[in-house]
Amino acid sequence: MPEALASPFMQKALMAGVLVSLLTGLISTFVVLRKMSFVGAGISHAAFGGVAIGFYAGFNPLLAAVVYAVIVAIGIETTAKRGRISEDVSIGIFYSISMAIGIALVSLSQSYNIDLFGYLFGNILAITHDEIILTLITSAVVIAIILFFLKELFLITYNEELARVSGIRVNLLNILFLVALSVSIVVSIRIVGIIMVSALLVVPGATARLFAKGLRSMIAISCAAGLVSVVAGLFFSYQYDIAPGAGIVLTSAVIFFTSLVLKKRG
Amino acid sequence: MSRAIKMEDLSVVIKGKEVLKNIHLSLDEGIFLGIVGPNGGGKTTLIRTVLGLLRPTTGTVSVFGRSPESLLTEDGAFGYLPQQQNIDPNFPATALDIVLMGRYRSAGALRWPGKKDREKAVQALSIMGVEELKDSQYSQLSGGQQQRISIARALAGDPKILILDEPSTGIDVVGQEDFYHLLKGLQKKMNLTILMVSHDIGTVTTYVDEIACLNINLYYHGNPLGALNEKVLTSLYGKNVDVLMHTDVCDKCERLRK
Repeated sequence: MPEALASPFMQKALMAGVLVSLLTGLISTFVVLRKMSFVGAGISHAAFGGVAIGFYAGFNPLLAAVVYAVIVAIGIETTAKRGRISEDVSIGIFYSISMAIGIALVSLSQSYNIDLFGYLFGNILAITHDEIILTLITSAVVIAIILFFLKELFLITYNEELARVSGIRVNLLNILFLVALSVSIVVSIRIVGIIMVSALLVVPGATARLFAKGLRSMIAISCAAGLVSVVAGLFFSYQYDIAPGAGIVLTSAVIFFTSLVLKKRG
Repeated sequence: MSRAIKMEDLSVVIKGKEVLKNIHLSLDEGIFLGIVGPNGGGKTTLIRTVLGLLRPTTGTVSVFGRSPESLLTEDGAFGYLPQQQNIDPNFPATALDIVLMGRYRSAGALRWPGKKDREKAVQALSIMGVEELKDSQYSQLSGGQQQRISIARALAGDPKILILDEPSTGIDVVGQEDFYHLLKGLQKKMNLTILMVSHDIGTVTTYVDEIACLNINLYYHGNPLGALNEKVLTSLYGKNVDVLMHTDVCDKCERLRK
């Protein structure tokens, strides 16, 4: 694939892909261990509302989506805790409302905006230099925050009550994790799109959990699985002329099911 | 002997329902107190109040003369064993990883437990007689082994008081005897104060120094020998409590046989 690497758009796509795979590989570990796959799917769909608000109001759609996704993530948690409803119901309510807001705003804008489809299905090949910088900064910040609180998050994942007794501020860290998750989702939207972003949040962690004996090995395997999915998926999409987002998600699925078979045999 | 726990006229109301009412409790240091009672009687709420996770609606609670909330931020005051949860069979932690969680606070921010913490964790596993399991996958171990490792985790933080919520859940009858025996040994060897709640009224009375019954109200009995008679158990659990004397021959079996 040397000719693929020679093109600037593929170089940019690879750069963005590597950053996002490391970020989601780390986040995916906790999404899987904390059984938050549906929360991730809910936030990613809700981000559509944020993107549409950005388009409608003339803001940067990614920044609007970050702010909106964080608000929705905290809304999901607080409604579930205080509203006497389960978390899956809370997610279902928030993400359908957000999608409706998004569709309503797209209708109001009365213009068929092709960029919106780039957010829905991802378009890593069209990623701009500014978006790479934004991805680099946000990935670095989120990764630093997660690594800073790694053992605290691990203890919360194991047992929240135990974490409280150990003096950890569980509520604050839960909110911080939701913010990190929301930011990771929005950053990944340009790569695989709103519809498929939950794959990057779930599949690498699920693959890693099959083999890992400890937290650090799970993070390493998850990041590696994410990285291989993105890089190989990009090349497959180039080779067979399919949408990059679909190529990445399908590659990650192949890695997961192959791992599952290997694990069962081994 | 100084006071480990003191509760005065303590009541807890949750969502309009009185879960604990007029609780008076005084526990001296170095004592093993067992609290028994039916499900929904407020046992876990009482523990959460002692740990500072729940504030009493009225009344006061102090642990070693201080408020439990302030102790939460102090290194190693509580060694806590929550009710056993169903852990994910692929949870990525060895037994040693779990015990090291008891050293997280002393390791401090941005630092994983170091060599000294590791030594302390292995020592705690050794005290609990499960050192050989240190590299085993925690989630794959039996209920009894998991409980021993959880106690090792609680001990690794050098606690002043061990607080155990239904520790015998998931352990078979023979294993329970061993487990309580081990706890009793720990109390004596390390001069630990132990507060344990359990629905298991049979075995508990053999090992604890003092016993109390909890069903919204607390009835303190002191010495456990003969404390849980038919009258006490009937008032605790309601009617139709059949007290069996397990000597060499089981009373009820004999009656049924005749």
